[in-house]
Amino acid sequence: MSGKNSMTVDEKMSTVKIKIDKEAHITVNKELCKNCTDRPCLIICAAENYKWDEKSDDLVFNYEGCLECGACRLICPLNAISWSYPKHGCGVKFRFG
Amino acid sequence: MEKTTCIVVGAGPAGSACALSLSRKGIDTILLERGRTPGEKNVSSFVLFMTELKRLIPEWEEDLPVERNVVRTDQAIFTGNDIKMITSYNYDKIDDPITFTAFRRRFDAWFAKKAKDAGAELITGMTVTDLIKDKGRVIGVRVGDEELYADVVVGADGYYSSVGEKAGLITEWDPARCTLGVKEVLDLPPEVINERFQVSDGLGCEMGLWHYNYGKLSFGGTTLYTNTDSVSLGIFARVGELKEKNVKLHDELDKLKQHPFIHNFIEGSTLREYQAHIISHGGRIKPENLYGDGVLLCGEAGGLMDTASGMGVPTCMTSGLMAAETIDLAVKKNDFSAGTLKNYLKFLDTTSMLDMVHESKRYSDSLVGNNAGRANYMADIADSYNNYWNADYMSKDYHPLFLNLYLKAGKFFVPSLIRWIVTPIVKGFSLYKKTVEKIKRKIRSRFYEWKKQYDS
Amino acid sequence: MDKTTCIVVGAGPAGSACALSLARKGIDTVLLERGRTPGEKKVSSFVLLMTELRRLIPDWEKDLPVERNIIRTDQAIFNGTDIKMITSYNYDKLKNPVYFSAFRRKFDEWFAKKAKEAGAELITGMTVTDLIMDNGRVVGVKIDDEELYADIVVGADGYHTKVGEKAGLVTEWDPARARLAVKEVLDLPPEVINERFQLSDGQGCDMGIIPYHFGELSIRSSTLYTNKDSISLAVFAHLGELKEKNIKLHDELEKFKEHPFIHKFIKGATLREYQAHIIPHGGRVNPENLYGDGVLLCGEAGGTTDTASGMGVPTCMTAGLMAAETIALAVKKKDFSADTLKNYLKFLDSTSILDMIYESKKTSDYWVDKGKLERPDCMAAIADSYNQYWNADYMSKDYHPLFLNLYLRVGKFFAPKLIRMIVTPILKGYSFYEKTVEKIKRKIRRRFYEWKKQYDN
Ligand SMILES: Cc1cc2nc3c(=O)[nH]c(=O)nc-3n(C[C@H](O)[C@H](O)[C@H](O)COP(=O)(O)OP(=O)(O)OC[C@H]3O[C@@H](n4cnc5c(N)ncnc54)[C@H](O)[C@@H]3O)c2cc1C
Ligand SMILES: Cc1cc2nc3c(=O)[nH]c(=O)nc-3n(C[C@H](O)[C@H](O)[C@H](O)COP(=O)(O)OP(=O)(O)OC[C@H]3O[C@@H](n4cnc5c(N)ncnc54)[C@H](O)[C@@H]3O)c2cc1C
Repeated sequence: MSGKNSMTVDEKMSTVKIKIDKEAHITVNKELCKNCTDRPCLIICAAENYKWDEKSDDLVFNYEGCLECGACRLICPLNAISWSYPKHGCGVKFRFG
Repeated sequence: MEKTTCIVVGAGPAGSACALSLSRKGIDTILLERGRTPGEKNVSSFVLFMTELKRLIPEWEEDLPVERNVVRTDQAIFTGNDIKMITSYNYDKIDDPITFTAFRRRFDAWFAKKAKDAGAELITGMTVTDLIKDKGRVIGVRVGDEELYADVVVGADGYYSSVGEKAGLITEWDPARCTLGVKEVLDLPPEVINERFQVSDGLGCEMGLWHYNYGKLSFGGTTLYTNTDSVSLGIFARVGELKEKNVKLHDELDKLKQHPFIHNFIEGSTLREYQAHIISHGGRIKPENLYGDGVLLCGEAGGLMDTASGMGVPTCMTSGLMAAETIDLAVKKNDFSAGTLKNYLKFLDTTSMLDMVHESKRYSDSLVGNNAGRANYMADIADSYNNYWNADYMSKDYHPLFLNLYLKAGKFFVPSLIRWIVTPIVKGFSLYKKTVEKIKRKIRSRFYEWKKQYDS
Repeated sequence: MDKTTCIVVGAGPAGSACALSLARKGIDTVLLERGRTPGEKKVSSFVLLMTELRRLIPDWEKDLPVERNIIRTDQAIFNGTDIKMITSYNYDKLKNPVYFSAFRRKFDEWFAKKAKEAGAELITGMTVTDLIMDNGRVVGVKIDDEELYADIVVGADGYHTKVGEKAGLVTEWDPARARLAVKEVLDLPPEVINERFQLSDGQGCDMGIIPYHFGELSIRSSTLYTNKDSISLAVFAHLGELKEKNIKLHDELEKFKEHPFIHKFIKGATLREYQAHIIPHGGRVNPENLYGDGVLLCGEAGGTTDTASGMGVPTCMTAGLMAAETIALAVKKKDFSADTLKNYLKFLDSTSILDMIYESKKTSDYWVDKGKLERPDCMAAIADSYNQYWNADYMSKDYHPLFLNLYLRVGKFFAPKLIRMIVTPILKGYSFYEKTVEKIKRKIRRRFYEWKKQYDN
């Protein structure tokens, strides 16, 4: 991070209320990811929910911290991310949007 | 009988610049000032820190008495209660400042001291009351009973120039062509200034606000700018209009302080000093009257002011320097007649000073004609711009921004030749566009009518 | 089998406006929203209190959940570290407000409640997952296993529209035509906000900022505006460019916060909420795809956002109202086929929405093509020309007419082609002539100085 006083994304995410759905609203076809060179999902997600695990050489993602902007779905060059809105009133609950 | 080469009357920006330059050229110079210290008689706003002053005093940074380095400038217009404003933040200029705020009392004293350090003899507390003449040529000045002789006298004594008057060069004192300024310096803690003007310590803001048909006056101006721990608020109006409409400018100032925009900036401040001063329009004196046998006028004494901006400090300094060049030439030729001093105009013309005088005169004429013409073009720019962002899609039309801009504001700024050619084209096109728009809209709303009929 | 006349999917500005209008016309309407309360999924900036909303809810003043009445608007451009800004203070609008800042969570809830009070049935916590089709015509919606039937379904479900997608009307999800927004709501005491933005209690400021030549991104923007006791700061950038340049927008936001201009406003503020959202270009859906058999799209689902301004709330509301008009007509005709619903376009065209879509598409194309903002530095040029006019360095100042500068730097972007073709050469020629004369004059004048120097030696 650039600033001296700036917060980490994790710290920032602690301000967001989310009711977690048991059912994942994002699924990723990780096989496709192995052939992906750009991996734009790593940079586009403002919650940094997508990470590349160097050890297992695998994409790790966390649907629970999703802000539901849907940028990952748009940006994925291989259509590996299937993304829909959470159901049953679950997911993010912005109080000050 | 005391005699020197040159007497400069008035230690304002013009006089001190002239005396400084003369002394550096090794010419014997006496600088006379009526105040006990230079600057104590003067009121103005920021000092423009132009290229000239930097060149003149390269080590200015050592001791120039600066209040704040102006990084933010605003040009605003009042239209009714509304305000439109164009702002620039010049953070790039922090290390290479162009404009400072300063107090005249300190700045003028500093500047006169530079002239003194260079060798000029500064005598304060001396009010020149008359000129000494010999066969129509100026050969000295009178300070009460005292007489002082010189080859050439420079009148740098401001708007009410005694030198200009006594030399017969200035005959016009038209109240329509000068502006009264009433000003207050208001104490405010630096932190509060920083918050309100969005600046940091040492950095300042300077606002020019123009009132167009605000209150009873057709045209006026306000300046609001930051000092270290105070803000200065000045209001300006043409003396002619104040008289005509029977308006007290200091009452207007009080009203202005109630305006929410101004009020937000000055809330909680206390008055440190109350001031008033005249600013003349530029171009008040014909260039041919800037010189005579043994005499030159510079600065505000010579009407070398920018009418539109009210800017005087830089123009007056430049004219002082050009006067010094002229005198230097005269010393070399050993000829102080009008024939040699006429070169003053050529020197002035090496800068854009005479253009400025010409423009200022034109602008002054339009103000006197009570036509504040360009004054509210800023509002038009802002309006056209806002219309572009307007989000009421029931009413919004897509009339091109630029047509609006040109027709509302632009035509004031284009030269008349261009205006003749371009305006009809733009007007025609605009009319065409608007008509098409209207017809389209009529046809479209017919659909609604049709539905209403269908409904019943 | 549950059946109603109209199902509106999504209780955002478009959906609620549509449902409200339908209910007032006495048409049975179900308004479905996936959030537990309307608005909790939403992120945006101020709400425009346009003529429309006032007409729709004349007693809005009673309970509209307002943060601040925007009386100050700024359009600023960053030119490196320099800033040029055009500001309007609309004190006259104190009594007759045009803009409010508001939180979507409260505004959307308020607006949906108005629809409910008018008779629409609002069901929250319901995510529509599919449409029910019969011979290619939409006859209802699916919420997982649940089914709900209607004569007509209105898709007002925002950018990622399920209705549009399942009805086959929306096919384009082009990352080049969508921006990502990352936003922070920052707590700040009201007194401090008032001081910094030059406001009084209840008065607000909205700033649109275009950081041009700041950082690596060519197209981006930012907004900074005031709430009651917090300020909202958002940055926007194209997904395509973020990807291409490998830039994290949330990192950019952090950098942005350190710019002296921004920093001054937010100094000492603490984060209240962190947000992200998509904001699409307008004109993404072809007008012919705004309707189908038994289905209409309105709001962002139909691409009715203004690309240049990013403004969506007012356009989406207007689109919702026009959808309601169309449906009322269809109810009278008892015909919900595409043929009748086609009248939607005529209704839209009775406002300037279709013009807006057309303009938005043009702007969008330009951005995608050129990879840069159209007209980005016009404000800087206005301010520069203006500053040059006030320039007080008379050793260098020239009197090149302000308007020529303005036209040649800015105007040509705004002038229609026809005008441009005729006027530009004239002004260019004139400007060249003026500049040449100026140059020659200056040269001649300088010669005088040279002459004096020779005389000196
Ligand atoms: C309220 C206000 C705001 C302004 N704001 C700005 C601004 O923001 N920027 C800017 O550039 N300009 C500004 N000006 C204009 C600027 O102050 C003047 O143009 C400038 O001071 C003129 O300089 P000068 O040297 O010609 O005359 P002055 O500064 O008027 O100096 C004349 C000097 O001569 C002395 N004097 C006068 N008569 C005699 C006499 N008979 N004998 C001896 N000494 C005499 C006076 O005491 C004075 O010191 C402002 C003016 C006012 C009133
Ligand atoms: C950061 C940001 C700033 C903005 N600033 C402004 C601004 O200052 N002014 C302005 O006018 N506009 C602004 N906009 C744009 C504006 O927010 C949108 O254009 C507007 O909200 C679109 O309204 P809508 O009703 O079409 O869709 P939305 O507001 O997106 O509403 C769609 C609704 O449908 C619901 N929904 C979605 N899918 C389903 C489903 N499958 N089932 C059930 N419900 C569903 C959602 O939960 C949501 O409530 C901004 C946008 C962003 C992201």
